[in-house]
Amino acid sequence: MKIQYGLISCDSHAQLHKDTWTSRMSKAKWGDKMPQLRETTDKEHMIRASDKPVERWFVNGKVVGERGTVNCPTVMSDPLRKTFPQRWDEVPSVVYDPAERLKALDRDGVDGEVLFPNDPVQSATFFQGDAEFELACVQAYNDALAEWRQASDRYIPLAIIPYLDTIEAAAEETRRAVKKGHRGIVMLAEPSMVKKGLKHFNDPWWDPLWATCQDLGVPIHWHAGAGIALRVPRWKGYTPNQGQAMGPAGGFSVQAQFIPNLIFSGVLDRFPRLRWVCAETGIGWVTYMLETCDHEWERRHLWTQGIVTRPSELFKRQMSMNFWYERAGIELRHVIGMDNIMWESDFPHSTSTFPESKQFVERCLKGVPEPERNKLCYGNAVRTYGLN
Amino acid sequence: MQLKYGFISADDHVQEHPEVWTKRMSKAKWGDRIPHVERQADGTERWVVDGKKIDLSGVALAGAAMPDRAQEPQRWEEVPRITYTPRERLTAMDVDGVDYSVLYPSVAGRAGETFGRLADPELELACVQAYNDWLIEEWGAASPRFIPQCIVPLAPIEATVSEIKRAVAKGHRGVVLPSVPMMLRELPHINEPVYDPVWATCQDLDVPVCFHSGVTREIQFPPYAGFSPEIASAMEAITRPVSAVLVVANFLFARILERFPKLKVIFAETSLAWGAYELELADHQFERQRLQTEGYDLLPSVLFKRQCHIVGWFDTTGLKTRHHIGLDNLLWSTNFPQATSTWPESRRAIARSFDGVPEKERRQVLVDNAARLYHLNS
Repeated sequence: MKIQYGLISCDSHAQLHKDTWTSRMSKAKWGDKMPQLRETTDKEHMIRASDKPVERWFVNGKVVGERGTVNCPTVMSDPLRKTFPQRWDEVPSVVYDPAERLKALDRDGVDGEVLFPNDPVQSATFFQGDAEFELACVQAYNDALAEWRQASDRYIPLAIIPYLDTIEAAAEETRRAVKKGHRGIVMLAEPSMVKKGLKHFNDPWWDPLWATCQDLGVPIHWHAGAGIALRVPRWKGYTPNQGQAMGPAGGFSVQAQFIPNLIFSGVLDRFPRLRWVCAETGIGWVTYMLETCDHEWERRHLWTQGIVTRPSELFKRQMSMNFWYERAGIELRHVIGMDNIMWESDFPHSTSTFPESKQFVERCLKGVPEPERNKLCYGNAVRTYGLN
Repeated sequence: MQLKYGFISADDHVQEHPEVWTKRMSKAKWGDRIPHVERQADGTERWVVDGKKIDLSGVALAGAAMPDRAQEPQRWEEVPRITYTPRERLTAMDVDGVDYSVLYPSVAGRAGETFGRLADPELELACVQAYNDWLIEEWGAASPRFIPQCIVPLAPIEATVSEIKRAVAKGHRGVVLPSVPMMLRELPHINEPVYDPVWATCQDLDVPVCFHSGVTREIQFPPYAGFSPEIASAMEAITRPVSAVLVVANFLFARILERFPKLKVIFAETSLAWGAYELELADHQFERQRLQTEGYDLLPSVLFKRQCHIVGWFDTTGLKTRHHIGLDNLLWSTNFPQATSTWPESRRAIARSFDGVPEKERRQVLVDNAARLYHLNS
């Protein structure tokens, strides 16, 4: 990838075309079960009730997402960021057409972007049927996103994996996707908390998947809460925007709780060349995690319990986190680790720095020396994803 | 205020002894529903309240004072006296260089939540009052170096308010309130104006409201069943302080601080390490969601700096970012006698954490902020 602007977003969201699944999955076999957009007038399917029909995603006949057709409020020409398109024809092509989207990257001064899913692909979206249905949906997603990479090497696609079949099936889909151009996988932080019957993250059952990713040299990604919901009941008095401010303002609590589980799980010790990227995390709190893990490890002599590597060393050796707006966290960059921090824009979600990413970066990195700045803005991403 | 060491520990826990409630509540009226210690079939002892075992991994919260920190005492006879005897506790404070100790409960809940789970408000009130009376009679009376804080019944709200008034009149200096009453039993959300009389009373009496971490495991990531007890309790000690982020985030948007601008709030057992990030994140979200157009006058970080406090005990990075959080908003503690406590090496922990912090600022965090909140100068 050519570095022109000196900025790679390590967390952006690719909206796939509405026909992604219907054009790739067998109509004869799956019929109406295929993920698709459908018109609905049911007010249960709308966060803001409207008398006009809206379009919603349906997977195996069940509606997914009540907010709108696509999560892309930053490109809706609404300075208040309250607008979600309610029909596909309202969705700006800049979010789903890879050629068009390059213009948005240029406008925002971004060289490339690591692509996480957008609608309708959420943590449990493809659990709405059996393993065969899940795999067909997952493969259609991975195939469609791999085409973005063929459109431009400025896209760094991440594959999703199937959970309902054997672990070999997940490893095989990973290999297939990487061969097609994917540069990592995105997964749930603790599958057994998302769907009953799935194995706990700490179970050695997952080892073949970890081994596959280590051998292929592709990182495993957790995005924000990665499917884990720990929350205080939301107050009914919040407006949608207030809820959208408050919810994410507490969100890192969840990551700060499940990432230590990775540290104490033994996975990183068993797979010392495996890389783990936590996206949409922010970095200012990471020192909490490192210090508290080290503190408890020392207080309780956890090396006697098989945790032989100091938690903060494990982190520095194998993990990365992303930032997008903060300053205090940047001041702590040497405590966190200069090799462990990457930048993200979160395009096109509401928290995104688009289209002012340059200004945000200037504000965050004021006073940071040029070589360090380059590492955080693109150098670490180039190394992590092998973009040379 | 008399200082010998220069440190007010803003978050420690008393250990309630087996007669706290049995001695103060009517056996005729409450029978076995009174909180008491009960021998289990396996020979261990547990606290039982209204027929249910309370959520402690032993019969006390005493890890730091045990020969092995990973082991909580399983029988009352194993509980170290320095956790439950005021006179011996003073020695433990001297050993660790602590002038004053702000007291939170253990059996009544780290966050004062145990009796909030009871379905019977009359029993709840009786248990709460016995605790509040005991803490003044045995600890408050023993030494001015103890700073007692009351617990409260959660409903009806008139009972909450009158217990706060009664307890403060008796000498309590702070109000320990579970931050998510709606997760304990069928109660209104904490943001509802129905709680306004509580905020108004605390504001008028000028006592801080204290939200301690660990109200409910529902906001903590559960430890893997395959972990050894040592790793499992480490995981709990890691997830508990940062679970408070969910509580703080709600509080910054809940409008309670706007309605009660002189109310003082303490979030205890949080650490300081994530404070700067939380304020930056809340402000960023506020701005990205354009909440200035929705009738909010002040940024979350401004409200926080005006009224909120967080408490550290081991971390160093919180102090590196102290100017982002606000020097007036930081407190320090030993967290004695929880296993995570820095006792009896708190001096060394403080030297490490405050390395490079100028003397004046150090004193502000270790002494002045707590002295101001608890009126120790008057």
